[in-house]
Amino acid sequence: MDLRELADLLWTWTPFLAGGFGWNVTVSAVAMLLGSLFGAGLAWARGRDRREVVWLAAGATSLSRNLPTFVCLFYLAFLLPKEVALGSLVLEVPAWCKASLALSVAVAGYVADTLGSALADRRRGRPDAMLLLLPAWTTYFLIIVMASSTASLIGVSEIVARANIVIGATGRDDLMVWVYLYAMLWFLVFCWPLTLLMGRLQEAIRDRGLLRPAPARPASPAPAPAHPVPAGAMAARRG
Amino acid sequence: MADRRLPALLLVLLLAFAGAGRAQAPDPLDTIRQRGSITIGVKADYPLFGQMGPDGKPEGLEIDLARDLARRLGVEARLVTVTSANRLQRLEDGTVDLVLATLGDTEQRRGIATLIEPNYYASGVNLMVPPDSRLHDWGELRGQKVCATQGAYFNRQLAERTLVDLQLFGNNRDARLAVRAGRCVGWAYDDTAIASELATPDWAGWKMPLRSALVTPWALALPRSAAGSRLQRAVEDVVADWHRDGTLLRAEQHWGIPQSDFLRRANALWNETDGSGAPVCRRLENGRWPEACRNRALLSSTEATGLMRLGLAVKEHFGLDLSVVYDGYDRHAFLLGLLRTLLLVLGSMAGALALGAAAAMLMGRGLLLAWPVQALVTALRMTPPLLQIYVLFFGLGAWLATRWGLAVDPMLAVLLCLSLYAGAAVAQALRDASALLAAQVPDFRLGPATLRRTLHAARGSVTGILVNIAKATGMASAIAVPELISASTSIMADRGNLGVMMNLLMLTWFLIILGTVALLRRGERWLERQGAASGAGG
Repeated sequence: MDLRELADLLWTWTPFLAGGFGWNVTVSAVAMLLGSLFGAGLAWARGRDRREVVWLAAGATSLSRNLPTFVCLFYLAFLLPKEVALGSLVLEVPAWCKASLALSVAVAGYVADTLGSALADRRRGRPDAMLLLLPAWTTYFLIIVMASSTASLIGVSEIVARANIVIGATGRDDLMVWVYLYAMLWFLVFCWPLTLLMGRLQEAIRDRGLLRPAPARPASPAPAPAHPVPAGAMAARRG
Repeated sequence: MADRRLPALLLVLLLAFAGAGRAQAPDPLDTIRQRGSITIGVKADYPLFGQMGPDGKPEGLEIDLARDLARRLGVEARLVTVTSANRLQRLEDGTVDLVLATLGDTEQRRGIATLIEPNYYASGVNLMVPPDSRLHDWGELRGQKVCATQGAYFNRQLAERTLVDLQLFGNNRDARLAVRAGRCVGWAYDDTAIASELATPDWAGWKMPLRSALVTPWALALPRSAAGSRLQRAVEDVVADWHRDGTLLRAEQHWGIPQSDFLRRANALWNETDGSGAPVCRRLENGRWPEACRNRALLSSTEATGLMRLGLAVKEHFGLDLSVVYDGYDRHAFLLGLLRTLLLVLGSMAGALALGAAAAMLMGRGLLLAWPVQALVTALRMTPPLLQIYVLFFGLGAWLATRWGLAVDPMLAVLLCLSLYAGAAVAQALRDASALLAAQVPDFRLGPATLRRTLHAARGSVTGILVNIAKATGMASAIAVPELISASTSIMADRGNLGVMMNLLMLTWFLIILGTVALLRRGERWLERQGAASGAGG
């Protein structure tokens, strides 16, 4: 295929696809915000004295850890109403809100776990524990950004959905793979530098010599960031 | 003596009167046989099914069926044109003996007429799309703009069950023109009406590619008074034979109507035999057809037996439509979806472990292979697996199809993708663990001999990765693999039991993940025992 023609096509549609990627970031940011608030609430509740509260919070955390995001997405897409009536005011619930909510379920579980163990570490005298949350949180955000591509399946106009529109509109099956690869490039360019940066930041926090590096905890329940993209957290992407 | 005879005489008189009463209302089958003809109400305003022919007489699929019915009953057919508005009235006032006029089988109509089972046809909602469209599943339409005609009874249900974004137009023509102008991906309307449109030159090349949704079966109708008559039974037998001998499929083909899923399935069902070689759809002792051969939507709990009776009673009393429990078809689809999901879960976990271990060992060699593998691992981990699936399935699939004529199985494509994707993370986890081990154990090097020990050291991360890849297998539904999510959404689209299906799906997935975690814990304990046995502690 003609390389120039391909470059022309991708260039023409770049603003459209970039707008879509903007939605990926927006959906993910809202999911992180909601999930973090909820997860912090769970972590707080698990540290209470009342047994029922602790049980309830532990149950909710386990639930959010064990429900696939993908299934949550469909669940909310079909069961949440299309619009909500607040008195005389009728508010539409757009698909992207449902996607954010679905993604926030996994975030809540992750934040509850990492925040919980960070709080415990701090009580054990590791002041850097809370500081290390920043790179861990950012890395999880990138995982959610990638997971947000599934929002295309419930009709959110993000980059994958828009890539499908471009493919459909040009009617060129031979270009399909290139459009998808180009969309992948957007994720790669967004996620890779940030991942490397977070790895550096994490090392820097540890190297400030506040404390010795944590001993290896191979079976730690919460995936603790140990390298640029923590394997556990990375895999928690669909969490 | 005379006193004793009186009651006997009265009894005889009564019996005679009753006998005379029966004689006054003979079975309608005898009536039409005596008359030598049956009057059938047909339509003339429904292209391809019942339309006005060039000779001014009605013609179409239903007209052919009406003639065939009369022939099989051994009488002449007399056709009378009816409309949607007057067809049941004509039946009740005796103008026609039978109605064969695109009549949908509903609960209300069963109250005012005798509707014939089996149903002879079914209409549903489908989508008329331009020639270049590549749609093949309702799932691809979520959130997409779909044109529809205002006032169609199915619009609301369609929007709720398939999550399409309906754009409503005042009439059919405007809706179709909007599709032509590219304002929507297609026009959602009654599939039989779309079929008639497609037969006209205006829409040459346009298609109706989806499986019809919200399917309503059509029934022949006799008057209410004919319930339980021999005529009803005879007509039922004729329709059953139409399904068995393919008359309906041939008639559909003859009139150029796209093959309906309903007829194809009915043809298979009515030809199915049980273990002893007897047909599954044969009359029971009470004269009824078995549940499997009836209109599932209109069956009530009093007519059903066993599991179906229980399921229908739950539906009638609590409004919970657990069709996956009581309905054989839905149950089969759901269980098959579950089986596919379990295969995907186990397959992708095994694949990720195998590929991850292989990649980690290759990277450990530090030779030429190292940097391409590292680059691949990075690329796989920094891009969404959904896009990876698209690229592999559509890209590699198209290439293999044009180059070698091979078709890629979507399930295999998903398995490969998820194994690669999670394998990359497993490889990274093993590399990190081996680096830790190398710092503790002199001369430690990751290889086949030390793999078990490294895996043991990395078990926490690896377990996390595998659980998460198990959760991600639902993505297979994006390329129409009929796994659990696809199965559930299509049952929902048919039945409208959104709440029941979605909660069941969530519960099933929760149990699958709990099972997966338990399985992986066992694996971890096995690794620990192996480590203890060989005396090589981490």
